[in-house]
Amino acid sequence: MRRFNLPPQVVRLVLLTIGIVGSYMVARYFLTPKSFGQYGWYRGDALMERASLPRVYAGMKACDECHSDKLQQLAKFPHKTLSCEVCHGPGGAHAKDPDVKLAVLTYGHCVRCHEANPTRPKWHKQINIREHYSGQKCTECHVPHAPSEVP
Amino acid sequence: MDLTNVVLEAAPHFEGYVYPNEATPEPLWSVLIVIYPYITGLVAGAFIMASLVRVFRVKALEPVYRLSLLTALSFMLCATLPLLLHLGHPERSYQIMMTPHLTSPMAIFGFVYAWYLMAVLLLELWFDYRQDFVEWSQTESGFRGVLYRALMLGVTDESDKAVRLDMKLGWIISIVGIPSAFLLHGYVGFIFGSIKANPWWGNVLMPIIFILSAMVSGIAMCVLNYLILTWVRRKTIDMRCLDVMAMFLFYALVIDASIEGLDWIHRIYSAEEDFAVIRQMATEKLFYTLNIGQALCGTLLPLLMLGLIQLLRKRLPEIARKRMYFASALMIVIGVFAMRWNVVIGGQLFSKSLRGFMLYKMEFTGMEGWLVGLAVLSLPFIILVVMIKLFLSEKLPTAGHVPHDSPSV
Repeated sequence: MRRFNLPPQVVRLVLLTIGIVGSYMVARYFLTPKSFGQYGWYRGDALMERASLPRVYAGMKACDECHSDKLQQLAKFPHKTLSCEVCHGPGGAHAKDPDVKLAVLTYGHCVRCHEANPTRPKWHKQINIREHYSGQKCTECHVPHAPSEVP
Repeated sequence: MDLTNVVLEAAPHFEGYVYPNEATPEPLWSVLIVIYPYITGLVAGAFIMASLVRVFRVKALEPVYRLSLLTALSFMLCATLPLLLHLGHPERSYQIMMTPHLTSPMAIFGFVYAWYLMAVLLLELWFDYRQDFVEWSQTESGFRGVLYRALMLGVTDESDKAVRLDMKLGWIISIVGIPSAFLLHGYVGFIFGSIKANPWWGNVLMPIIFILSAMVSGIAMCVLNYLILTWVRRKTIDMRCLDVMAMFLFYALVIDASIEGLDWIHRIYSAEEDFAVIRQMATEKLFYTLNIGQALCGTLLPLLMLGLIQLLRKRLPEIARKRMYFASALMIVIGVFAMRWNVVIGGQLFSKSLRGFMLYKMEFTGMEGWLVGLAVLSLPFIILVVMIKLFLSEKLPTAGHVPHDSPSV
């Protein structure tokens, strides 16, 4: 009986396929992060990595240590619900070393809440920046620590 | 810097009624996600162009058979690049390939991509080139010699029987390849079309529109590549081949324009609750990219030019035809890019409330800006140039087997 031989092209391609799949399996074994699947379909280590990042925010308590007058003033006005760093930016470095200055205010954060948007409640003070803004800094007319007062 | 600019730049980029989670400085999917369907579309289109020769036996297109397969391959090699870059951590983006799964449509694209690249494109190219690799490995030395010997995979059989088998297997793969090419790009359309919550995307015609526009852009890209390659090599253009390519381009464009028109007629006539926002998108927010880019430059003008040539082919001189083909192909590839832009960015420019709009201003540098976008888009062309030098060199004689003569089994 005549022996059936697979054509050489087919044999080589089958071998190549086995080679590719095999090397993928090996690569997968070594390259899949070790903590993958620990809690779910992600790297378990990612949680600890995020948690161990240096903290950039100090929190209001740290501000209170030196600037309690400002906090007391703020507590009387609607902005009392805001944390200092919402407007002043991350203060972690400044809290550790007062010589490190906070970021310069750009006043972009004012319009983040006060730009007119129909989704905001009516009682919330809103302006249309293109009509309202006349070139000065917001703080030239408004006092963020006492927003209901006029300077 | 002027303080006015600082404040206006910092102001949220939206107008009307926008939900808080939509009032972000940039849409979630940027220009990189525009490039992704554009590149995959070119792959599918260029492959279908090649299969016209092998499966549908269009003999006139034989001079561009290998060029279109190589075009498909060079774009295919870059198809996942914009997605991997968009993940934001290019240095560990390989991990997504190490952890395949079946529970997300985007993850399944990995399987579709792997199937199309490994089981279709590379195999078809290998069967087509195998006999040439054997020949070239004997005549070429140095890097080329090593490369061709390696690509031969140790099969040196050049007998008629072996070559016939190559052709037969290549033909089978090409037959499998046509639905696979449709699957590859139809799947990209499906990813958008299945998003029910977005009226700009959630549309059953989306996969079909994607496939048709892919065919149009792929054939147009092959026309451009052929014209540029013959011009660079100072060769005479095979006008019969170019005419037939343009004829198929015209037919594909007619079907594509009809289906996209049908989509709009359906949207306009049914005028569902989302229509007001869609109309505003088409007439204001996407005016330039949709009406000028996609409809006028990408569809109407090429339709007119290609249609005119179909009618007056005999009377128009060769040089006029060549220029018109070049201009229409160029307009089509730009128009299809505008179409991808309109789909991807357009779908993210209006609020889910259907009462407000967001803005997208592309940055120049940065991870998803103009520069990265241009680099990703030019990479397939660089790869194509290298491939043409290696596998479509004028100095290398080809075995001369003709793909359309493959046995019909």
